[in-house]
Amino acid sequence: MRDLFRKIRKTGRVAQDAPRAPEPVLPERARDLGGSVQIRHVDAGSCNGCEVEIASAFGPVYDAERYGARQVASPRHADALLVTGPVTRNMEMALRRTYEAVPEPKVVIALGDCARNCGVFAEAYGVVGAVGDVVPVDLEIPGCPPEPEAIVAALRGLTGR
Amino acid sequence: MTSVAFPAALGLTLLAAVAGLVLPRGPRRVTAGVLTAGGGAAAVVAGAAAMRGGDWSARLPGLLPLAGARLALDPLGGLFLAVTGAVAVCAALYGIGYTRHGGLDGRVPQTMVPVFLAAMTLVPAAASVSTFLLAWELMALASLLLVVAEHRSRDEVRAAGLWYAVMTHLGLVVILGGLAGFAAAAHSESFEGLRAAADGLPAAGRGAVFLAVFAGFASKAGIAPLHVWLPRAHPEAPSHVSALMSAAMVNLGVYGIVRVGFDLLGGGAAWWWLLVLAAGGASALYGILQAAVAGDLKRLLAYSTCENMGLVLVGVGASGLFAVSGARALSALALTAALLHIVNHAGFKTLLFLAAGSVLHGTGTRDLDALGGLRTTMPATTALFGVGALMASALPLGNGFVSEWLLLQSLIHALPSGGTLTAVTMPPAVAVVALSAGLAIATFVKAFGVGFLARPRSSAAERAREAPAPMLAGMAVAALCCVLLAISPGAVLPALARSVAVAAPGPDAVTGPVTLHLTGLAGTMSPLLIAAFLLVAVVGLLALLRVAATRRTARRRARLWDCGAGPMSARMEYTATSFAEPLQRVFDDVLAPETDLDVTPLKESAYLVNSVTYRTRVGDRIEHRLYRPVLTAAARAGEAARGLANGSVHRYVGYGFYTFTGLLIALAVIR
Repeated sequence: MRDLFRKIRKTGRVAQDAPRAPEPVLPERARDLGGSVQIRHVDAGSCNGCEVEIASAFGPVYDAERYGARQVASPRHADALLVTGPVTRNMEMALRRTYEAVPEPKVVIALGDCARNCGVFAEAYGVVGAVGDVVPVDLEIPGCPPEPEAIVAALRGLTGR
Repeated sequence: MTSVAFPAALGLTLLAAVAGLVLPRGPRRVTAGVLTAGGGAAAVVAGAAAMRGGDWSARLPGLLPLAGARLALDPLGGLFLAVTGAVAVCAALYGIGYTRHGGLDGRVPQTMVPVFLAAMTLVPAAASVSTFLLAWELMALASLLLVVAEHRSRDEVRAAGLWYAVMTHLGLVVILGGLAGFAAAAHSESFEGLRAAADGLPAAGRGAVFLAVFAGFASKAGIAPLHVWLPRAHPEAPSHVSALMSAAMVNLGVYGIVRVGFDLLGGGAAWWWLLVLAAGGASALYGILQAAVAGDLKRLLAYSTCENMGLVLVGVGASGLFAVSGARALSALALTAALLHIVNHAGFKTLLFLAAGSVLHGTGTRDLDALGGLRTTMPATTALFGVGALMASALPLGNGFVSEWLLLQSLIHALPSGGTLTAVTMPPAVAVVALSAGLAIATFVKAFGVGFLARPRSSAAERAREAPAPMLAGMAVAALCCVLLAISPGAVLPALARSVAVAAPGPDAVTGPVTLHLTGLAGTMSPLLIAAFLLVAVVGLLALLRVAATRRTARRRARLWDCGAGPMSARMEYTATSFAEPLQRVFDDVLAPETDLDVTPLKESAYLVNSVTYRTRVGDRIEHRLYRPVLTAAARAGEAARGLANGSVHRYVGYGFYTFTGLLIALAVIR
């Protein structure tokens, strides 16, 4: 315990300085959300590259939570769905049900090239399609995988902070 | 009034017994049931009249050889008589429906229920040692026959019957020894004679008498460590008999302690009552802990009986201790709490055992892990069990709350008045009552939540059917009594005060019709106002929520969130075992559960699991540690003694010869 506290003291602040707030990407949605976005992440069939970057975006260095974005454990608590990977057959129904379970008004973010257009997995036998083929997508974050800065910037566009 | 009602009660029950014996199978069940219920009602009237001051006594010199039978009813006996009668009314009505199946409409069970009731009405009315012991033994035998009523269908019933037979007769032996010694020293066997002679006896003799009868009566009341028969016999008996045993018969153990300890022996030394209090406290804690982890619905209720009788004995012990230290008002308050708790416990335990019987009747199982989802198939039983569970969990709106509050008040206020002994004893006693009340809530949340709500956990629970009308009627009467006791205990307290005055003379400890005032103490409580306030608060809150929820217009129906993986199955629900697991873990050292994990790998590879078997069982540790060694030693001694009897007639004649010669030599030496 003491070691932990010592390490915390020694390490200090590692978070990057906040860049200037980007323009809101969905102004009317951002108004509804009021600067606080609860996000449920769904892995629809990703290779886990995007997951590593999401973890990094919410880690101590990029710290997306300071801009009002927060990951939650249930779609019932969420304002937004963060979907990664092409939608596989096994995850199609689960994604639809998760989308249904999110209360209105809701936002769907397709994160990574696979989520946007299936990327290298296009036409694969186990893939149903991109996220946009299964549920309506409001916001896309390109990249394979997208850098944490890009993820944070997109989320800031949603929170407006 | 008593002089009419008491013989009427006895007459009706005996008539019911005759009806059960001689009538053919067709009308037997209904006739015996209605007559038994009538007998119970008459017993209530007789008991209530006796509590109102209509003392009654009778002497029947020709009825029993040598001594004759003596009967007398005073307010103390009247209380227990009234409670027994009320339980019998519910159980008999219920029994009309319950005994339709399963061979329970045979001659023996139908005859023995009224005989059992008759014996239970005689015990509190007995006024001499021989009459008392005879009624006591009749009660034990009748209940024993009822416990083994279903011995053909289940093996456990036989084991339970054996345990009960041995324990109840060991209890009878010590009670007989104690009372016979008392009667011999007092040169009288009538209770009047004993009462008059008690002061003249040496303190050690009185202590020995009390110790003996306390052991016997405590065993009947299910007080740890003499309780082992109770969690076996009560679940295995037919459910209306379980109710009679758990709500009426165990009370008579407390009656014996109060009657002999306070009334006949006239109080006594402080160590008597410390012993009673300690035994009560231990029983309360052990009982409720076992109930909290029990997976069998009726076993849970049986252990809860151990707990409640323990609480009653805490009150009785505290009352005796206060009386010894001269605090009359507190003594009366503690005894009032104890006796009121007997009444309350009888109410909710009747209801709960009858409802458990309905569950058994409707589903064929008592295993909580296999129940659930009865809310839709058995709505009336679910509601009635819910009422019973609320009553039993010592929360406001329940009747157990009132008596436990009184008990706590008497224990808390003990500090300034008593000596060092009370000052040291009472804080742990308060802790015991508080802890057992808390665990009782967990226990009954488990029993109701897991047993009746959520989804059915087995096909048996899925196919449950509601109990027939007579069973519901029996439960409804019990529920009504409970609710009345819960909201207006002031209605029974004046009568109860007269019963208390028999044992602890003094002014009424609790007064007031709506708001209860404690005499000489600064405590007041109004169950009716609390109930009204809670009701208004809950209804108001619900209405407010409804208004707040309907204001927003846009509404969407979404399916239940199941992690997107398809419908959730009943296997995902909490079971009784998993609900109690944290408690079991906390009290690991006391309960010592036996857990067994067996992993079978596939033949091809040790790393691939074929099947996993997990078994966990919480046995009765007292039985395991205290009784098993004695039983094993007895069995071993029996095996060894077998060598003495090898079947040779010559040897047996030799035994007789040498014993006789040895006796003659011994006599020649002594004389």
